[in-house]
Amino acid sequence: MGFLDNSGDIILDAVLTDHGRKLLAKGDGSFQITKFALADDEINYTLYNNSHSSGSAYYDIEILQTPVLEAFTDNAGSVKSKLISYSSMNLLYLPVVKINQQATTTKMHSSGSFIIAVDAETEGTTNNSNNNAVGYNNQDPVAGVIFGESLTGDNFIRLDQGIDSSEISPKQTLDPDLNEVAYIIQIDNRLGKISSKDGDLVPEDYIDDDNIAYYTVDVGLVTQITDDSNAQTQTVAGPRGSRLEFKIASSIDLNTSTYLFTQLGGTSTLEGQSVRHIDSIVRVTGMKTGYSVDIPVRFVKSIIS
Amino acid sequence: MAESFYKSLDIGKDVVATRTLLHEAIPLTGTIVSGTYGTDNIKNYAHGMFQSVYDYPYLSSSANHIFDITAGVSADSAIYSSVSNQQSKKLNIYNQMAQVLVGYDHTGSIQRFDEDGDVLAGGSKLDDVIFLNFARLLTKDEIKKGTFALTLGATQAYATPFTDRILIQDTSGSDGYLVNSPVGEYGILYATNAAGTRLNGNDQKCGLIFYQAGVCALTSSIFQSQLSSSAYMNSSNEDMEAVLTGSNIEAASDALRHRIYNLQFNNTVELNSSVYFCRVNHNEFNYSTNPTYLSGSKIRVKTQSSDLPVSYITTVGLYNDNNELLATAKLSEPLKKSSDTEFTIRVRLDY
Repeated sequence: MGFLDNSGDIILDAVLTDHGRKLLAKGDGSFQITKFALADDEINYTLYNNSHSSGSAYYDIEILQTPVLEAFTDNAGSVKSKLISYSSMNLLYLPVVKINQQATTTKMHSSGSFIIAVDAETEGTTNNSNNNAVGYNNQDPVAGVIFGESLTGDNFIRLDQGIDSSEISPKQTLDPDLNEVAYIIQIDNRLGKISSKDGDLVPEDYIDDDNIAYYTVDVGLVTQITDDSNAQTQTVAGPRGSRLEFKIASSIDLNTSTYLFTQLGGTSTLEGQSVRHIDSIVRVTGMKTGYSVDIPVRFVKSIIS
Repeated sequence: MAESFYKSLDIGKDVVATRTLLHEAIPLTGTIVSGTYGTDNIKNYAHGMFQSVYDYPYLSSSANHIFDITAGVSADSAIYSSVSNQQSKKLNIYNQMAQVLVGYDHTGSIQRFDEDGDVLAGGSKLDDVIFLNFARLLTKDEIKKGTFALTLGATQAYATPFTDRILIQDTSGSDGYLVNSPVGEYGILYATNAAGTRLNGNDQKCGLIFYQAGVCALTSSIFQSQLSSSAYMNSSNEDMEAVLTGSNIEAASDALRHRIYNLQFNNTVELNSSVYFCRVNHNEFNYSTNPTYLSGSKIRVKTQSSDLPVSYITTVGLYNDNNELLATAKLSEPLKKSSDTEFTIRVRLDY
């Protein structure tokens, strides 16, 4: 994937995606381009310097000099950060989606990711009779460890949405156009599935050719945040929208086999136990605002000695 | 996702289908065919029906197949009864090529190659033919009419074939081609003197070129009766007729390769394109979901709410109704978009 020649006129380099070629080959009419979107995948807006000493013409000089990569065919890796239209041109703040780690049950593991224990042996029990488990420490649940087989336990992932600025009071109401009521969750389908906080599996929308499963979640996993105080439990400083709560179930492959751990992962020590692990990312994207957050997750399976 | 990420295309106004013909020049110097790599780029087969020519020693993965050579003799040929080597194979090759390229008459019989293409009128037939079957890699959709040029060595001596040369072209191809072949259009090849005066007369008909099929059918008489004296086709100083009767197809192919001085044509690719005009109005796509667009929740490119929002376009995604990404296009440099600008981005997809 080289850079495009930007020495002359602006040119456009276009390719069909792998998914597009697949639909074209099906020949059932599903290859029908009906809409377009624009994106700015390469742009780093931190380069925007609105205090440039040479004046406003130079604020974005570094952005405009950004070299652009050739188009590539992976549909999952293209057009990632879309441009969006809002009717108002006066918006100064836009909502974000943040991982809420304020409660013990929603914290990440101290190792820096959410841990998914993929089988009962790895989960453990409260009587701590299982020497191979990582889910309990002296009968106390370990923060950040989600039970991927049983989907029991108190730990889950929580994301809060809203304007994260102390410049605006949380008592202000978030504009309905900016208030998410649904999210898209992407997860590697070989590794896990999405469930509600209560352990009910959510059906995926579709699985793409790269094994990425797409879930659209709303009622049941998404609720409005009504707390407009500055309580410790809140992670968004300004006006709040919705929160998304879910767990991750382990796939059958991870639950019953070490094959994918050998192929994709490694071994490490967790909570004093030797485990096989696979690191992955779960991406959550707001349906309205398109804001996305990548959640680091580690699937672990105890090594039975 | 919300429709504010996507803008629908008006199929009647924003989508246009176009067709473009692209041409590439294909020059094949004779040394590739007969000298540069010795015979390492020439592949012969146990069946002996044809010979393949590669642009590099064919055992290398870098080698590309460029054309095949074979020879056929019709059962109606004056020399057919004299053919003592691979007679049935030469007949089979002739009939196979004739049925594909010339077709059948109303009784279902295979027609013979006609010198001037006027099959109904009878006339001279091409009964002893050497075929050059070009790979699709070179011809693509078709050989461009009027561009075929084959220069052959015409000197009588075998060892120095290129002192006198003849040039074979489809000179009338661009405006005088024929369409009565089952495999599309074809033209008549004419021979002229290119160096020396070995031909019995310029502009002699000497074969046919089938443009879409990518096949050149060359009469063997171009090395014999059409010259002032027959060319020696092998080191035994045999003429083409002797080679066709007494030697196998491989030897006939070797004989032709030995006399190829130059070969070139232009190919044609028919490019069907859909052009999508992505019209971006002033009030659209002015904000971004790029993670770096916000600092906290504040938009980095604005210092106060009354500032115009700005975004930078690098990518265009084309989607279907299910929001599945079917194609992507990248601009060679970021395009600044704000509420005081409008664009039409023209995305062309070639098929």
